[in-house]
Amino acid sequence: MNIINILLRNIKWRFQNPISILLTIIQPLLWLVLYSTIAGQFMKETMNVNYVSFILPGIMVLVTFSCCSSGGYINFIMKSKGSFQRILISPVRRSDIVLGQIFEAVSLSIFEAFILVLISLFFSVRIESGILGILLLIVPIFFSAFFMAGISYTISLKLPNEVIYETVMSLVILFLFFMSTALFPTENVSVFFRVLLTLNPFVYSINFLRSLILENTINWNSFFIMTIIFSVLCIIIFFVSVKTLEKQTDS
Amino acid sequence: MDAIKIENLVKKYKNGVKALNDLNLIVKKGEIFSLLGPNGAGKSSLINILTTYYKKTSGKTFIFEKEIDEKPAWVRSKIACVSQNISIDEHMSLVENMIFQSKLYKIDAHTAKNRIDTLIKQFELQSYLKYPVASYSGGIKRRLDIAMHMVSNPKILFLDEPTTGLDISSRKNLWEIIKKIQHDFKTTIFLTTHYLEEAEMLSDTICIINEGKEIACGSYLELEKYIPQNIVKIGFLNEKLAEKSYNFLKNQKNNLNINLQKKYIFINISQDKKVFEIILNKLLVNKFSFESAEIVKPKLEDIFLKLTEVERRTSSEYNQYIIA
Repeated sequence: MNIINILLRNIKWRFQNPISILLTIIQPLLWLVLYSTIAGQFMKETMNVNYVSFILPGIMVLVTFSCCSSGGYINFIMKSKGSFQRILISPVRRSDIVLGQIFEAVSLSIFEAFILVLISLFFSVRIESGILGILLLIVPIFFSAFFMAGISYTISLKLPNEVIYETVMSLVILFLFFMSTALFPTENVSVFFRVLLTLNPFVYSINFLRSLILENTINWNSFFIMTIIFSVLCIIIFFVSVKTLEKQTDS
Repeated sequence: MDAIKIENLVKKYKNGVKALNDLNLIVKKGEIFSLLGPNGAGKSSLINILTTYYKKTSGKTFIFEKEIDEKPAWVRSKIACVSQNISIDEHMSLVENMIFQSKLYKIDAHTAKNRIDTLIKQFELQSYLKYPVASYSGGIKRRLDIAMHMVSNPKILFLDEPTTGLDISSRKNLWEIIKKIQHDFKTTIFLTTHYLEEAEMLSDTICIINEGKEIACGSYLELEKYIPQNIVKIGFLNEKLAEKSYNFLKNQKNNLNINLQKKYIFINISQDKKVFEIILNKLLVNKFSFESAEIVKPKLEDIFLKLTEVERRTSSEYNQYIIA
């Protein structure tokens, strides 16, 4: 199974280059520790929950953005070293190549998201929905990471070099992060902005993660809406990624 | 059966550049085939098409009688391509690189292990097993790169400038390995190189292309006909003796194309080697003693430069004479 072959190779690369793990988690960690501590003092008056608990879902999604963006970067390393072409002219299915790389980004995202959860425990965060809730945290992270990894993969194949790629990905990540419910509740925002937020799919995974952390019952309605939206998006981005990879041999 | 057959191949890139222009080639099964051409001649484009990395614009390309565009997956299982960049993964060990490659080609674990052991021995890589790949020299990395590509037991091995950037010792080691691959594994080798002596030494067939078209194809002996001249080079003890002999030969009414350069005399004798004996005989009979006498044959470099009309360099003795 070449998906596993490529996945294990990329995981090995990641652990041989621990700086790439550190760099992907450091910014979300700063948001979680510094921003939540400072902003939490102002948010006390408007919210009656621990602000770290409130922003943890958004930061978990932010870490998946970071990991997935780094996953797309691997394509540039592979192209410069020649292994990209080597794999492409071997009898491996294009879908296996795409999935192998996407699953590496997904695995790293789940790993780093749980590190953030562990760290947040030191800031009095509790997962109110219990053991099942803790297990269900994986689902929105998986979907968010799969979709974002697909986007990163496709963009990395379309762009000519890593400098432009990093700039474009920073724009995409900042836009999706700030146009979401990651940092603030939607109750007091205008109707126009609220409609705009519904167009960002990551809002659904942040909201479901937040319900798992803050509520003691599982919001299955929110779970199914998120699952349906992301299943469709993940299938679409997967086919787009495979098509983009196939076009690499169409110079 | 031909390993590769190319008919009227055209490759035009989206930016309008025509890299291959009605190219026709045949590579016989089991031979070492060298493709030569100046930069931009279309060598890499051709390799990229034959290895399924690029799609052609028009024409026909066959690998073992199967059209590449119709059976790309089948073709991929029969070939391997060592590209200009060394493509080994430096974060994996020597054996891990080879195992990864074997899994790409769906080779079962037992067969893969046997092949890897054989290749490590054949390529003399045993002593490097315990060291990280990143610490290998360029020559050893290239050796591993080729060994790794041999794990799938390809029927055709493409080598795209494999010795570029290697020192002369590593290059000579690699020549031995290329010969070994042909001999021991019966693999057809398609080689591109900038080192003409490499092509001259290794190849059964040499093909020179320029601007996407074949100019000449054949064995080295067959290519020699493009420069139907041999040069007699006679060396003397000093320049004075050389000059005396030169004047003597010049005064003989024999229409010889003769040239003096320091303590050497160069004479164009075309293909008629009897003239060589006559000249030496004349010198000996008239007591003009010389230190050495030889026939200088045109080198592949000379043929290449003549055919590609690139500005001639004066490095070879042959060219020195022609220019003089």
